[in-house]
Amino acid sequence: MIVVTGASKGLGRAICERLIDKSIDVFGLARNVEEVPFASMSCDVSSYDSIKAVVQKLKSDGAKVTGLVNAAGIASMNLAVTTPPSVAQKIINTNLLGTIYCCQLFAPLMLRNKKGSIINFSTIAVALGLKGESIYAASKAGVEGFTRSFAREMADFNVKVNCIAPGPIDTSLLKGITSEQINRIVSQQIIPKQFKPKTVADLVELLIDDRSDSLSGQVLHVGGA
Amino acid sequence: MSSAESVKSEVFSQIARLLEAKSLTVTDDMPLIGGDSVLDSMKLVELCLALEDKAADMGFEFDWTSDAAMSRSRSMFRTAGSLAAEFISQMESKK
Repeated sequence: MIVVTGASKGLGRAICERLIDKSIDVFGLARNVEEVPFASMSCDVSSYDSIKAVVQKLKSDGAKVTGLVNAAGIASMNLAVTTPPSVAQKIINTNLLGTIYCCQLFAPLMLRNKKGSIINFSTIAVALGLKGESIYAASKAGVEGFTRSFAREMADFNVKVNCIAPGPIDTSLLKGITSEQINRIVSQQIIPKQFKPKTVADLVELLIDDRSDSLSGQVLHVGGA
Repeated sequence: MSSAESVKSEVFSQIARLLEAKSLTVTDDMPLIGGDSVLDSMKLVELCLALEDKAADMGFEFDWTSDAAMSRSRSMFRTAGSLAAEFISQMESKK
């Protein structure tokens, strides 16, 4: 079973649908799962206890978790000096602590089987140092650092940990961002085009597959940076 | 042997199972973390998983990740004795 956070919409939803298409058992997590048409449970990733409740349920159900995709996240395009502290805290709590908490709590389920794949999400904004995304980029830079160290901690247990860093993918996360802003970011990528959720789902599919067992601790930039 | 003593002995035997130097005897003050630790980090995680299984057999959940478990004794992994004490404490409070 692959656990996917942020499963109700955007990239997380696209990833779940791709894995289900490939007959892979998926368990989706999101704050609101009322309209999620596959196995799922409500979970706020910024709450350690909320994630723990999911882990306990999966344990008691005897689920065999072989992968975790930390796709839950919130974006913010604001100058740091105009971002309220409550928003900064929410971004860090969801993007960075949410990823760390999920890794801490789901990894033991994979350690037990000595096999697993964990996929975290960063952003191309980290590598490109994009203006107006400083706090969002800070949260994701933390995810990249965590991924590299955590990958070493998990390597002895045959659990690989990698990170996908997309550019502006065409999802609801970009709501409120103008096409000029998107074009400006895309033009800084090595491959200057806006990619679709399908491209990210392709990478997830590869990273959870045995064919990528030589990869761990890597940050894969969609579009190149 | 009291129930607590037999559980402590069980925790110590789980530690002994993971020791590289089989001639070592597990004692209360045997360090499990830090420079003098007798277990590497991988073995420590294996110990946690083994104790989790043991606790499940005994009808309670051994929580090695919560703030409460870690802060009660600063780190329950400080020594074999502190780990056994934490295991017994969780068994008694959750049963």
